[in-house]
Amino acid sequence: MTWFNAKRRRLLLLYLASFILLFWALAPIYWVFVSSISNRIELYARPYKVWFPSEPTLDHYITLFTTGAGYRDGGFSPTAGLMASGMRSSLITSVVSSAIITVIATGAGYVFARMKFRGKQVSFYFLMFMMPLPIWAALISLFFLMTRLNLIDTHLGLILLYVVFSTPLSVWLMSTFIRDIPSEIEDAAFVDGANRWQLLWSIVFPLARPGMIAVFLVALLTAWNNFLLPLIFTRSADVQPLTVVLTLFIGQYEVAWEDMSAAAVLTMLPPFLMALFFQRYLVRGLSMGAVK
Amino acid sequence: MRQRFFTQDRLFIAVILIPLLLFIALLIYVPAVDTFNTSLTNRNLRINRPPEFLAFENYARLLQDDEFWEVTGRSLVVVALVLPIEMTIAFAAALLLNERFPGRAVVRTLAILPWMVPPVVNGFLWGWLLNGEYGALNGLLYQFGLIGEYRSWLRDPNEQLLWVAVVQAWTRFSFPTIVLLAGLQGIPDELYDAARVDGASVWSQLTRITFPLLLPSFAIALVVEFIAAFQIFDVVWTLTAGGSAGGQINPFTRTLMLYNYELVFRDLRVGLGAALSYLILLMSLGVGFIFVRRLYNQGIKE
Repeated sequence: MTWFNAKRRRLLLLYLASFILLFWALAPIYWVFVSSISNRIELYARPYKVWFPSEPTLDHYITLFTTGAGYRDGGFSPTAGLMASGMRSSLITSVVSSAIITVIATGAGYVFARMKFRGKQVSFYFLMFMMPLPIWAALISLFFLMTRLNLIDTHLGLILLYVVFSTPLSVWLMSTFIRDIPSEIEDAAFVDGANRWQLLWSIVFPLARPGMIAVFLVALLTAWNNFLLPLIFTRSADVQPLTVVLTLFIGQYEVAWEDMSAAAVLTMLPPFLMALFFQRYLVRGLSMGAVK
Repeated sequence: MRQRFFTQDRLFIAVILIPLLLFIALLIYVPAVDTFNTSLTNRNLRINRPPEFLAFENYARLLQDDEFWEVTGRSLVVVALVLPIEMTIAFAAALLLNERFPGRAVVRTLAILPWMVPPVVNGFLWGWLLNGEYGALNGLLYQFGLIGEYRSWLRDPNEQLLWVAVVQAWTRFSFPTIVLLAGLQGIPDELYDAARVDGASVWSQLTRITFPLLLPSFAIALVVEFIAAFQIFDVVWTLTAGGSAGGQINPFTRTLMLYNYELVFRDLRVGLGAALSYLILLMSLGVGFIFVRRLYNQGIKE
């Protein structure tokens, strides 16, 4: 009888609810992971599926980098070098753009958070207004502009675009973050004769570090996951990031799902690691201040 | 001293903001204006002729075109399907995560993983789950005796939009969950204590206290998720659009953004596509303005 008291019943209910929530959230991810380490026979078993491979294998990951992703009916899409180059492109463009964004956002965030000046509201609206708007309105002519600047199909072009499109959110995040830092230390340094640049460098940068990490991670995730921009602004395989490379595998024949799954796992892995290790920063950044 | 800082500050602000604003102007606003100019012409990259000025003919043409209304309607259907599914799950998840129990932090961490999945991977992932011949959903339902034989979940055009909505809700539900959870944590416990003393049931506590006090959080989440669902692209592209670049786009899940992509980058009807992008912009403008004003009030104004 004691087993079934109200406290235990409550816990049981909560764990049941947690199970349902996690099943919904994780089952699809679990299946793609299992698909990537199953052998073909087990993976295509039907009607009863094999929910965990009897002999897990890393073959599909190796295939991906050596011969390239296969098609179901044999044959291979020419993807051997694509995975590696896609990873390299994704890494370069997302890391570089996020670093630039973090510096810009910290400077501009400081200006909006701490300083009073004419035109503050106008310039803030000017920055923010592009955020909720469909990017197509700019994208069409931006495409021609980038063509003229010879930035189509380059890493530099992609970096530039990531920076531009991530700027408003990042600036906003940093300004809310810096506003929450008590300003006494800055005031004291001010009285000691420090100028704004010294202030920014030696006081704001160290104190705002958690905010900067959040901004960096959000920008990194956004850039890594981006698809539309590289789809439009890159063409050649050695510039295209992983997200676009992934869609190249899907040709006119049915793909080999085990190879595709391996590619998908590799694409998801960096964001997952970020979420698991830096959840607090990332959630704070991504929820746009809704969570303090 | 004040004077010295005044001029020095102006320089500081100018050095930081002016390049940034110029950069945004050059890469966003100038192209946006240029796109608008293009939308007044019949520019078409497939036909080699100088574009002619048409005034608002492209707009009139779109507004009279059944296809435009069909696509707009479809985007609204996606929104109408996504929001209830997503908000229900998010509300339930937030209520759960607001309770104290051992392991809550782990549940919370794992529950945001779908949000991290690149949208492109998301579409592929669900395409594989829903696969008619070997899909895991078929396997699962079969094993539990819920279906007698495997079926192609994505074949029926009427169901495709529903699945697009489910997949969008799957990847996005973490955001409203977090927003609602923050809202829940802001409700003082005393309110519930008082209600309990007065003998209020759990249900009436939920409808009389929790729900009304959560409305602001719901509003924030709804605006952001409305924009995300209305401008859906990547998920549709990989789940049901049925093609890599250059291919035919499945008409049954052609939403506004896909239609726009198709007009500009496949059909190369740049003028018409530009006009469409401005119509989409107008439709998002209202929601967008509310959004920006909220950001300003919350972030800058003291």
